[in-house]
Parts: sequence; C-alpha cells; structure tokens
Amino acid sequence: MRHRLAAACGAAVVVAVTTAGCGVLPPLPEPVPVDIVPTVAPSLAPEGAENLSPDGFDAVERMAVRIRNVGCSALSTGSGFAIDEHTLITNKHVVADSAELEVSTYDGRDIAVDTASTAALADLAVVRTEDPLPSYPDLAEGDPVAGDPVTVVGYPEGGALTVTTGTVIGTAHDPLNANLGEVLVTDAPVEPGSSGSAALDEEGHVIGVVYAKTADGQSLLVPLSTLQQMLDDDASFTPAATCN
Amino acid sequence: MSTNPASPLPPSVPPAAAPTPPGADQGVGSAYGAAQVYEPVSGVGQERRRGRATPVLAVLLAAAVALGTYLWVTTERWRDTSAEWEAEAGGYAREVADLRLQLDGVNAELTSAREQLATATDRITDLANEKAQLGDENVASQQYLEYQRRVSEAAGVVATALGQCTDGQQELIGYLKDADSYDPADLERFETQVADLCTQAKDANTALQQELQQ
Repeated sequence: MRHRLAAACGAAVVVAVTTAGCGVLPPLPEPVPVDIVPTVAPSLAPEGAENLSPDGFDAVERMAVRIRNVGCSALSTGSGFAIDEHTLITNKHVVADSAELEVSTYDGRDIAVDTASTAALADLAVVRTEDPLPSYPDLAEGDPVAGDPVTVVGYPEGGALTVTTGTVIGTAHDPLNANLGEVLVTDAPVEPGSSGSAALDEEGHVIGVVYAKTADGQSLLVPLSTLQQMLDDDASFTPAATCN
Repeated sequence: MSTNPASPLPPSVPPAAAPTPPGADQGVGSAYGAAQVYEPVSGVGQERRRGRATPVLAVLLAAAVALGTYLWVTTERWRDTSAEWEAEAGGYAREVADLRLQLDGVNAELTSAREQLATATDRITDLANEKAQLGDENVASQQYLEYQRRVSEAAGVVATALGQCTDGQQELIGYLKDADSYDPADLERFETQVADLCTQAKDANTALQQELQQ
C-alpha cells in the first residue's frame, strides 16, 4: 500500500511536471497590443507606371520632332529624334537645300535651330538646337537581327505624330545608293514624311533611322552601327547645303 | 497465470486473516500470481497508513486546487483577450471597409483622370498637328505670294519690253516715212536694234506665259 501511494504521488508529480513542461497547460495570454498596424507600409507596384511621364506622353513620343524644310521655292516636311538635350538626328534629304529649318515637338512647341550638318556617306544629318529638347532615348547596344520587333515614331505625310510597329526582316544593299554598307529592312509602315524617324527596339533604344520606303511597302533604315560610326567621326558631317 | 498446478504455493496468510486490498490481484489473473505475498494487517497499521496518506492527499488537493485556479484564471484571461482581439478586429474590419470604399472611389477617380489625360494628350497631339499644318500653309502661302510677286514683277518687265518694242517699231516707221532724210546705214542699224528688242520682249513674254501655265 505504501508503495502504491508513493507510486501514485510520483506519478502525479511526473504527470504535473510533464504536462507543465510540455506546455499542455495553457499559458496566460499576452496583452493585446495597442496598435498592430505595421510601421512599414507594404510596397505596392502601381499599375500603368510605365506610362507615367510629366505630361502623359510617353518617352517614345516626347523624343520625336517634326522638321519643316522651308526651301527657296518649296516646302517639305520630315521627322527626327533627339539623342541629347540639344542634338537631333534626321536624314540628309530632310534638311538639304533649305533656306530655313523649323522644328516642333510632340506638343507643338517650336524649337529654335542652331546648325545643321549632313553626312557624306549616309543619309544622315545632325541638327543642333538652341532650345532644349524634351526627351531623348538611349542608343541600343548593337544592330537588330531578323525577327526583332521595331517601333517607328514620326510624322508620316507631315501629319500627326504616329507610332507604328513591325519586325526586322533583314539587311539589304541600299537600293538608293545613299548609304555606305547595308541597310535594315523592316515591315513597319512608313510614309513620305517619316524620313528621319527613330526606329526603336522593345526597350525604346534606337536601332536605326528611317530613310526610305520600298515599292512593296517595306521600310528601309540606316542601321545603328552606321549612325554610331558617323557620330564617332566628327569629320563625317559637314554643314548642310542651303538653297540660298 | 504462471502457477504451477503441480506444486501450488500456499498463501502466506490465510485469506480470512488477510483481506485483499482493493485493486489487488487475486488468483490466476494477477501479475504476481501465486508469488505475491500479503503482509498481515492490523488496525494500528491502517491508522498509520491513513496518517501518512493525509498530507499526501492534502498536497494533491492543494495542487488540484492550484491547477484549477490557474486554469480558471487562464480561461478568464484568454476570454478577455479574445474579446479585446475581437473588438480590435472589428475596428480594423470597419477601417478596411472604409478604406475599400475610399479605394473604390479613388480608383474611379483615377480611371476618370486617366481617361481625361488620354483625351487631353490626344487633343494636344491634334492641336500640335493643326498648328503644324497651319505653319505649313502659312509658309506655302508666303512662298506663293513670293512667287506671285516675282511673276507680277516679271509681267511688268515683259510689258515694259513689249512697250519698248512697240515704241521702237513706231519710231522706225516714222523714220522710214522720211527715209531720204536719214542715212540708210543708220536706219538699218536702228531697225536691227528694234528687232532685237522685240525678240527679247517676245522671248520674255513666252517664258512668262509658260511659267503662268505651270
């Protein structure tokens, strides 16, 4: 009997210690905190942030300019795009034989032109502006390959700012013999007046400059490599010929 | 159990003198079986055991009371905490409902603002295009006016030349009426000069007419 009682007591103690040690007995609750709102708010990615800009126009539109070539007895229009705050790229035939060049931006602002110079070995021209340009893109790292998407932004027919898309078809010899080396062929729609438009890749980087259109509706681009080659050589550009 | 029927061990205490304690095994079903030994129990021993068991029971009772008290307090605390959490959750739920309502309103305003922005940008693009077209028309008009000015100027020059031609021819006719009074060589030279002047006037007039037809 004594052994049983001792065993019972021992069992009770063991059970009590075990249950307490194992957490079977519920602990007292922690006091309810005054404020459970996290101090650091969760970061939420806003929808449509890629379209944010100072005025609702995206960078592709903001970098494009319309160029009016006021000749001595003629008028023509073309397109261009900024590569820095005071430099535009366009085609040589857009600025050739002009008495005055008039540049306007996507929102209709007029940009005063300082100088214009043209390349001898490519249908390219550089226009320096007195007024700052709204936006300018980066150049791509290299020429595109067949199948790459392309976006063209310019002023076809001298009309409203237009963005068209297509893909790079390949390269070809320049049918107009206006450029040294091969040119890019794309199926992005262009029209007269689109000359000088920027051709961009998916990241919005410049991959070429529109300069012509084939009879079957394909667009021809001066490739980025040619543009960079011309820009790297200061002697490749000479003052543009005027009609005066 | 494992009793040996061939040599059963007799109980050490007669069953009448040694009552089986409650719960104790007897017979075949016991774990100890026939080997279990029962001590003799007397009234003094029982009293002694009761005396020993009382503090133990008291301790157990105290422990049970303490445990029950702890569980009661814990339960009450959890109940209170649960109520506080529920109130807290209710407050946040109302706040979430308000925020959702505000979010819906803000989203609606954002959608409207985006639509207005798209309309505004389209309108800006249209206005920029209209301005460009007006600029083109202005330049073209200026060039056309310049052209008209140059054409009018050319027409004046042509008219003057034709007039000089006519005057020269009339003067030549007058000289020829009184040809005997002039040196024939001078008359011939004057006639050649008038002819050249009229040829130039006719060429200028022809060029002007061709320009006007373009």
